Amino acid sequence: MKAPTVWRHVGRNLVTAWLVLSGLFLLTRGLTDATSYLQTALEADSRIQAAERSQLTRQLLHRAGLDLPLFYISFEPTQGWQWEGTANQYHAWAANLLQGRLGTSYRSSAPVSGLLLEALRYTLPLTVLAAVLSAMVSVGLATTLNGRYPAGRRALLYLLHALQAAPLFLLATGLLLLFANPDVLAWFPAFGLGLEEESATWWQAPGRLLYHLALPVGSLVLMSAPALTIQLDAALQHELRQPYVATARAKGAAPSQVVWRHALRNALLPTITLLTELLPNLVAGAVVVEVLFALPGMGRLLAEAAATQDYPVLLGGVTLVVLARVVAQLLADALYLRTDPRIRLQA
Amino acid sequence: MKRQRRSRRNWPRVLAFGWLTGVASAALLAPSSLLAPDLLHTNQPPFLPSHWLGTDPQGQDVARALVQGARTILLVSLPAAILTLLLGAGLGSIAGFWGNTRLRLTRSVGVAGAALVLSALLFAAPLLARGVVGGIGLLAAAALLGWVLHRTVWGRRPWALPADALVAGLIVLLDSVPLLILVLLVAAVQRPSAGGLVLLMALTCWTTPARLMRAATLQARGHTYVEAARVAGLSDWQLLRWHIWPVTWPVVLVRFPLTVSLLIGLETTLSFLGVGLPPDTPSWGRLLAGIRQSPTAWWLLVWPGVTLLLTILSLQYLSRRKM
Repeated sequence: MKAPTVWRHVGRNLVTAWLVLSGLFLLTRGLTDATSYLQTALEADSRIQAAERSQLTRQLLHRAGLDLPLFYISFEPTQGWQWEGTANQYHAWAANLLQGRLGTSYRSSAPVSGLLLEALRYTLPLTVLAAVLSAMVSVGLATTLNGRYPAGRRALLYLLHALQAAPLFLLATGLLLLFANPDVLAWFPAFGLGLEEESATWWQAPGRLLYHLALPVGSLVLMSAPALTIQLDAALQHELRQPYVATARAKGAAPSQVVWRHALRNALLPTITLLTELLPNLVAGAVVVEVLFALPGMGRLLAEAAATQDYPVLLGGVTLVVLARVVAQLLADALYLRTDPRIRLQA
Repeated sequence: MKRQRRSRRNWPRVLAFGWLTGVASAALLAPSSLLAPDLLHTNQPPFLPSHWLGTDPQGQDVARALVQGARTILLVSLPAAILTLLLGAGLGSIAGFWGNTRLRLTRSVGVAGAALVLSALLFAAPLLARGVVGGIGLLAAAALLGWVLHRTVWGRRPWALPADALVAGLIVLLDSVPLLILVLLVAAVQRPSAGGLVLLMALTCWTTPARLMRAATLQARGHTYVEAARVAGLSDWQLLRWHIWPVTWPVVLVRFPLTVSLLIGLETTLSFLGVGLPPDTPSWGRLLAGIRQSPTAWWLLVWPGVTLLLTILSLQYLSRRKM
């Protein structure tokens, strides 16, 4: 892969990300006026006098940068078109974003990047574990079904199709009710991460985390693995009909060896495309799972920010998701080249 | 012999049809009034008299909520799916048929259209506040701009609308954020009504049908009978209507049950998270969300869960050609 091609690829992804974020920023800021921000800020204190209130309102708006015009140009029926210069909300937001500052939360007045970092401590193990496990499960299942145990393939495909049909929140609730229920099987905790207790020593912490993450990760894997497995299975079926597989068999390779050494590498290419979608989709799935299992992660942060109209937090979260997608795209490109050296990227 | 085999092969299809018909008729026959909650029997387990599927933590009858939720599903998911497919099919066939170079306009139309779209996007808030007057005003301003430009020589020069690139760009933009997060964010701006939710889901889900339709249109346009019809002097519109769409619309139609099931999943997830429909609308997702308040009430998971799963599975089964 030549360097300019890579940069063009990255550049195009970044431009897309920038356009999406700008659109969402203008949408969220443009369609709501400052009232929602003021409500959350002033609701706490109802004793403020009317005169004081108007001054306070102006100060609050100024502090949040909401007293500026929204965009470079504005239109008022009384004054007509106006050029506002660089003193506008979009410019300030964009400049801050380029310097890595995501603004402050409307609700808690804490910096958004701090909130996101705190939330990522919980979400990162969750999504990364789920992504790795899904990839492993789907490769394992597809290769076993096509190599050693072809008998169970049809039944398992039916099961996978059924699993794929179920929405994530249904799967997660089902797991919760089966395995974290004193009436059925109380194997796993229903909420929390087990990191709060001070008694845990450093070598106990990973095990405790895994134990608490078992059900959330399990439901995410149940959501994402079926699609990957079905795709990989179809690709393997296609590859196993190719002439080179007949050659490998004639050479005397065992069925599982034919799959692992010969067919898998060629069958992986379409699945890698799905892997690009996997990471952003897992973050979206984390919204559901974290709300259900009461984990204070990014999904829960996003859901709460959406419920309370905390736009800086929402936009910050979406920024992270979009960036994760750009990174996943790059990873997928690198993986393409590793699996099939014949591929040349064209920008 | 042959007849027997066919009936054996078809019985899951019959079951799927039967289940969907059951859901649809339950939705049509559902009582529209909300019953006062039975506060004496909250969280009652099923198979007891008076509430034979149990009640939720607010004392609502689960069976009644299920039937009314079916009506919500019917009223939200079906229109949303139809809108999604229409939007996707329209944009996809425009992109596939005209491509980047074949949609010839004059520069005046192009500039006026671009100005119209840009200003509508930038000033959505003041326009929405003024309603119909603002819309008509904007349209009139754009028309005036186009007319003035059309008087000049520069404005009458031909210009090709890059329809394919525009649609592809829109698809890339929409697909770069996961669907659930995008809908969550837009729903946060304004708590949508039922109609708003339909519109929101259609505006975010049209990308896959558009992609399929674009590919199908590209394929259909290459056939020689289309060339023949073009040589015979048919206009672009006639070509599209009489020679392309009859070939391409099955592609989208096959997609219909799948889209409905996708939208049902999205709608119930949103209701489960509490951002979807208004709180007084009965919905399966809201019923399922009751389990967060009383984690041991298995009947709140089993009845709506099984209903939801069977509905989605039936829809997906019908959309599969063979299995």
